Amino acid sequence: MNYAYPEVLVDTDWVSKNHPNENRKLVEVDYDPVNGYQKGHIKGASLIWWKRDINDPITRDIINKKQFEALMSKNGICDDTEVILYGDFNNWFAAFVFWVFKYYGHENLKIMNGGRKKWELENKEYTTEEPLLALTTYKAQPPDEGLRAYLYDVSRALGREDTVMVDVRSPKEFSGEITAPPEYPMEHAQRGGHIPKANNIPWATAVNDVDGTFKSVEDLKQNYESKGVTPDKDVICYCRIGERSSHSWFVLKYLLGYSKVRNYDGSWTEWGNMIGNPVEK
Amino acid sequence: MLKKGSFYYIKDGDTDFILEDKTKRGLTVKDTSIDEKLNVSADKGMIHDMDGIGHWVPIRWYFSKDLFDLKKISEYAESMEKKYTALREITCPDDSD
Repeated sequence: MNYAYPEVLVDTDWVSKNHPNENRKLVEVDYDPVNGYQKGHIKGASLIWWKRDINDPITRDIINKKQFEALMSKNGICDDTEVILYGDFNNWFAAFVFWVFKYYGHENLKIMNGGRKKWELENKEYTTEEPLLALTTYKAQPPDEGLRAYLYDVSRALGREDTVMVDVRSPKEFSGEITAPPEYPMEHAQRGGHIPKANNIPWATAVNDVDGTFKSVEDLKQNYESKGVTPDKDVICYCRIGERSSHSWFVLKYLLGYSKVRNYDGSWTEWGNMIGNPVEK
Repeated sequence: MLKKGSFYYIKDGDTDFILEDKTKRGLTVKDTSIDEKLNVSADKGMIHDMDGIGHWVPIRWYFSKDLFDLKKISEYAESMEKKYTALREITCPDDSD
């Protein structure tokens, strides 16, 4: 059985044979570009640094439409450019950027299955040379709010039988034993636990451990449907800062074809810090 | 356990004295290599800052018993203790006294 939208994925071999050109751009999306892109990246790839490029520098929010248009221009991307995203940390942040691109209506968009992890496992070549890209004029679409869940959406969804919450964090984060692993001291919350009635389906259950590629449709269906996350439901995915949940959002929406899936990018660092929010342990 | 402070342990290994930074507990060891500051082998992990950038940090140091005595390691440990105590005073001062 094929993925619902197989056209959103390309594999590493395809990328190694299909180089970026005027109509096709390759973009590495990193959480940590110092230990990623700057040490080496796929030839012709430009960089989107999640923290600097995708987030508003002052307010906690993703970039607005104007900032998004400037980002696309800087990366040489036009409205109809084919864009292939890949990145560090198992493509979590590439998936986040995929979500933001879709939020602002970019159509021709793909993810390189397995990201940096698979490329490196295959000993494929990197360069430190950065591409020279001509600025473009990009016209974004109005935000598609159907892809995004806000705090009030989650609050309203509590107790609703037609909505299911998918907490994609690790079991220890879900149980409240930890609020963030020690590697991420800036991402803690005041309370540990999860949103009441959320299902814990860690992001990693959607990928093959060996190379970070997505599991088969059959395995993915079994993974989600057995826990009540079915295509007829409104699904809200969340994690700690919204990047791992983008990964699961991508799986549910594009690989399994669920029509009503939203990413709650405020995630636990919002929910677990708000006074009065209900928490389950 | 040979000695402990608020921010460190000194443990007795077969051939090494092991100094552990308690503030790095739980961090995954991703590399074991020479720590350039103390010039001894150290287990290292990575901590990501506000911008997401990863920084290598020592978790524990291995001091050969042939080259170091407990007094010297205690000096390193106390220096670390002093650094973290000062940091705590800046970020979370104790106003009780």
